[in-house]
Amino acid sequence: MARSKAHYWFVGPALFLMVLILLLPIGIASLMSFTNYSLGNPGAEFVGLANYEKIFTRSAYAKMFGASFRYVFVVVPLSVGLGLGAALLINSIKRFGDVYKTIYFLPVMAALIAMATVWEFAFHPTIGIVNSTLERGCGSFLESWSWYAHGCKQGFPLWLTDRDYAIWTVAFIGVWQAFGFNMVLYLAGLTSVPRELYHAAEMDGAKSAWERFRLVTWPMLGPTTVFVVTISVIRSFQVFDTVEAFYPQGGGPSKSVYVMMFAIYEKAIQQNLMGIGAAITVVFLAFVMFLTLAQRWLVERRVHYT
Amino acid sequence: MSYATQTSAQSGSLPAFRFSTAETMKHVVLIVGCLIVLLPFYVMVSYSFKSPAEIMQNIGGFFGSQEAFRDDYCIKLGKDIADCMVTPVIYNYTTAFEKAPLVRYLLNGVFVTASIFFIQVLVALPCAYALAKLRFWGRDVVFGLVLFCLLIPVHAIALPLYIMLAKLGLTNSYAALIIPWSISVFGIFLMRQFFMTVPDDLIDAARMDGMNEFSIIWNVMLPTAVPALLAFAIFSVVAHWNDYFWPRIVITGDRSLFTPPLGLREFKGDADGDNFGPMMATATIIVAPLIVAFLIAQRRFIEGITLSGMK
Repeated sequence: MARSKAHYWFVGPALFLMVLILLLPIGIASLMSFTNYSLGNPGAEFVGLANYEKIFTRSAYAKMFGASFRYVFVVVPLSVGLGLGAALLINSIKRFGDVYKTIYFLPVMAALIAMATVWEFAFHPTIGIVNSTLERGCGSFLESWSWYAHGCKQGFPLWLTDRDYAIWTVAFIGVWQAFGFNMVLYLAGLTSVPRELYHAAEMDGAKSAWERFRLVTWPMLGPTTVFVVTISVIRSFQVFDTVEAFYPQGGGPSKSVYVMMFAIYEKAIQQNLMGIGAAITVVFLAFVMFLTLAQRWLVERRVHYT
Repeated sequence: MSYATQTSAQSGSLPAFRFSTAETMKHVVLIVGCLIVLLPFYVMVSYSFKSPAEIMQNIGGFFGSQEAFRDDYCIKLGKDIADCMVTPVIYNYTTAFEKAPLVRYLLNGVFVTASIFFIQVLVALPCAYALAKLRFWGRDVVFGLVLFCLLIPVHAIALPLYIMLAKLGLTNSYAALIIPWSISVFGIFLMRQFFMTVPDDLIDAARMDGMNEFSIIWNVMLPTAVPALLAFAIFSVVAHWNDYFWPRIVITGDRSLFTPPLGLREFKGDADGDNFGPMMATATIIVAPLIVAFLIAQRRFIEGITLSGMK
């Protein structure tokens, strides 16, 4: 078998495509990020670190990082927390667990662009179902909440077009879409927690559900959590569909939803500023790779720990 | 409260119909969650049934009254009013198909997702087999490369890929939609892990029978890998049917190449008041295939989608 040359034919195409489609583009992006290249121009000038300097000094890009990090820092904890919460609840009830699981997983399957269109309607300031439902609560005990009372008098927020609410509304949709995925990963993680550990914990005096969670479930879910958090961060950094659907131009009210993927799209594809787009790409890749490597390192360390 | 926690602790031995506060509370929380999760699906399907007036005034319950309304566009064409009365649900769905070549978009979607999956398997399967079962110089290097490439999200390198395709004159083509996805390092990794569990004896026996390495892959390894392939198929199809970012970049003008998400986006671009219903109908049509398939084969789907958890 070692004599056979078959492996060249087996590995060759995959290797060729890997280099061409995955590695070469990284090289191209890195090189391009030092130039002012634009498509259609015969050549490009070397501009050194000018593109990176722009990214890290200009206010438009400060907004870009702000929007991306705000989005990530909302979506990741909430989607991981809700995913874990849903998994624990579903795992602990006796019946209908599968029904809840199916329903919570639906947003993961649905095309985000389609659901974004629907959410846009739902959040419509006047005819949307969200505000019209909120209005129905006016006059009830809910008005004791000052935010609610204010909404009843002055009108509820414009959500997607209000610069104070836009990024949070988009983030909410991100959480809505992502937490079912995390829930399923946690449910898989929960099945691997040995039952005896709970009995042992109980013998050691862990009486309350919280104690059992703190002493057994949470530590045993460590590797799952590391993975879930990493994949959530990477996916949240890549958010694009909702942003482009709501704000085809400019990234939302006063650029408050100008996330990185949208910035790459806008600069490079819409405005043909390839150098800047490439520089954002490189920064983006650096983030993602660093996070994944950190995750692998954490998981490997944990293997020795447990 | 201590009673409640105790019951949940001993839940295994309790009879099924006993009322428990904790259990009820859990269901209440989960049901509230379901309402929020289902809200946009409800809005989408409901609006696809309703007339513009009902959508604007937010009336008519789930199905709307299905009272015929006047189609103004039809009047503009100079037809008789009596001919222009349409039932909302029929109007919405026929407009969805008439206003844009939705059938074409759906077929494009099917063609692109199927081609991507087919090519991914064609490339990944032999490579995975070689990495798992053949000994050759450089194998560890290739596998290391696969592990490294797992770090790269293809969407993130969309820009250089776009430039490469543009230089080759391939933007606005099926090739542009398919080529960047032809290599799935994740598929290689997954199949390799799977093939590692296939006993060497099986392969040796096949070699004894005079099979060459090519027919071993397609006649011996492929059939054993069907469960893993199925999971990978779901993973791949869901990702590419729903993908919006990449088609948005490489398909700029040519409507005949639009995939379903792009078709919906185009619809949204020129949506005025009267088009809400048809637009929701389009959204429903695009989302429905995967949702229905998911409801039929939930376990397989959840397995397939969470495959990435194996990394």
